[in-house]
Amino acid sequence: MLEFLLALLTAGTVGVLLIPLLRTRLTATSRLDNDLAIYRDQLAEVERERAAGSLSGPDAEAARTEIERRILTAADKDSTPAPKPAAALHRFLPPVLCLLVPAFALGLYLQIGQPGVPSAPFIPQPKAPTGAPPGTPRDAGPSLDQQIASARERLKQAPDDPETLSALGELLTQQAQGVVPQPAVDAFQRALKKQPGDPRALFYLGLHEAQAGDSKAALTRWLDLEARSPEGAPWLPMLRAEIDRVAKQAKIDPLSINPDRKPPSVAATRPPMATSSPMAGMPQPTEEEREAMAKMSPQERQQAIRGMVDRLDEKMRASPDDRDGWLRLANARRVLGEPQKAAEAYAKADALGPLESKQLADWAEAEIRQIQPGTPPSPQAVSVLKRLEVADPDNALALFYLGAASFAQGDKSDAARRWKKLLALLPPDAPIRAMLEEKIKQAE
Amino acid sequence: MKSNRFLYVLPLLMLAILAGFFGWSLVSGRDPASIGSALVGRPAPTLKAPALRPGEAALTDALLQSGKPVLVNFFASWCTPCLAEQPLLERLAKKDGITIIGVAWKNKPEEARAWLERLGDPFVAVGYDLDGKMAVDWGLSGVPETFLIDARGIVRLHFRAPILEKDVTDRILPLLRAGGS
Repeated sequence: MLEFLLALLTAGTVGVLLIPLLRTRLTATSRLDNDLAIYRDQLAEVERERAAGSLSGPDAEAARTEIERRILTAADKDSTPAPKPAAALHRFLPPVLCLLVPAFALGLYLQIGQPGVPSAPFIPQPKAPTGAPPGTPRDAGPSLDQQIASARERLKQAPDDPETLSALGELLTQQAQGVVPQPAVDAFQRALKKQPGDPRALFYLGLHEAQAGDSKAALTRWLDLEARSPEGAPWLPMLRAEIDRVAKQAKIDPLSINPDRKPPSVAATRPPMATSSPMAGMPQPTEEEREAMAKMSPQERQQAIRGMVDRLDEKMRASPDDRDGWLRLANARRVLGEPQKAAEAYAKADALGPLESKQLADWAEAEIRQIQPGTPPSPQAVSVLKRLEVADPDNALALFYLGAASFAQGDKSDAARRWKKLLALLPPDAPIRAMLEEKIKQAE
Repeated sequence: MKSNRFLYVLPLLMLAILAGFFGWSLVSGRDPASIGSALVGRPAPTLKAPALRPGEAALTDALLQSGKPVLVNFFASWCTPCLAEQPLLERLAKKDGITIIGVAWKNKPEEARAWLERLGDPFVAVGYDLDGKMAVDWGLSGVPETFLIDARGIVRLHFRAPILEKDVTDRILPLLRAGGS
């Protein structure tokens, strides 16, 4: 109905425009005809006036000649040939436009305007090729979907392998952009049944509880995990950051859940300016900078410190032969919680002169902090850890992670040997004993 | 001349009025994103959508008049806030035993199905509204939106955003405990 009314309106408008345009063309009289009529009138007038005596004979004759002369000129002018081609365009363009515009509108309406046309996202599209999209580098490794499929395949062979279950849960969470979906929750719960205390499963189950609106349960689980984790465990920084985030969001004080909670390590929470000991290697601010910093908010202060460290970084790149400078930079990066940059600076310093065991331990820590939870230590980490072990055979960090690296490579007896040595070194009430014993059992 | 001078002051005056309004908006605690809902306190609009899971009955008003309060959740697989909300719905369905009816809005059914399979499916019944025609009656402005409908079929709450923990503990659960049944 509406469409019909609109069509009627359009037709009416076009009609109103077209009719005068066409009519002028049909009734177009030549100019000469008009002129001749006027001159004829004028001649008759001259004749009348002469008869009435108001015009003398010679005057009337002069006027008559003048009018006749004009008639001749007019006739001359009119003898110009038929309309020029441009005139054809002028004559046809308006009516053609009048018809074309509505016709175009009608076409557009039928193509994309009418209500029956499906929305663009729902138009059935030819199926995209299933392989990698063009432009994806070949060496990007298996896609997430492939990794999930292969994890599921492995689970078919060993349905209760906690490592694979946790890995699958983590992949499913990645696929859901950080939301722990129900199938991942199931996987983590099965992993936990097989391997109680598995930090990865506990972490993600807590994350699920936080996402499901049960912050209290999440915090309880995480604080328990935090208490049982060895100091320096690679997942601790992330775990603490999450505890802070959820506690702040839900306005729950972690201490109300676990009153025995030790304050997290200094580097993780407080701005490093507040303490002196870990700052020993930091580039020291000038008096003015120190004063300005006292007035800043913690974030601004953190940023100012980062700015100073970045300046030191630039200076070191300009004069890379300063071993002490690299060590200072590495320490600053480590304290700021930038393990990757710290490790890089340690490597630079080490190239200029081998590091001592204390510095090796810091370097190893920076390497370990880069390890993704649940994956074995990287080759660089292993080489640093090996040197650390040589320098300090009883170093717990080296024993634990070199054991993990051996275990990942399938050398279970070596893993068990290192872990047993570590177990013997630990005090009898160390919280990680249970987890270590579990790991040794797996290795044997 | 006097009127001329007034003309010069006019832009300043406008600026002062605007600044005053913005300042007031900032401090008055008004939520400019909230557009309210005309449905709260009225009977729920018509529920009529084909079933998303193959072989199930289509969504009808009968689902809203079961004598139990229900949540109606509009979602889409292309909607990231819906993703964030999903674990919460799951928990409401499983732990708190709340009946949740889902409607996939402007979403291809096969994509919505795959999405639910990946994330878990908290819905007792779930339909789809491909062209969004049914959602017009519900006053939907986008997804996710969630309605709490009481046992008599009256809309009691309307969330125009993903549900958060505080919505559940402060608004949904108290209402259900108080007079939902």
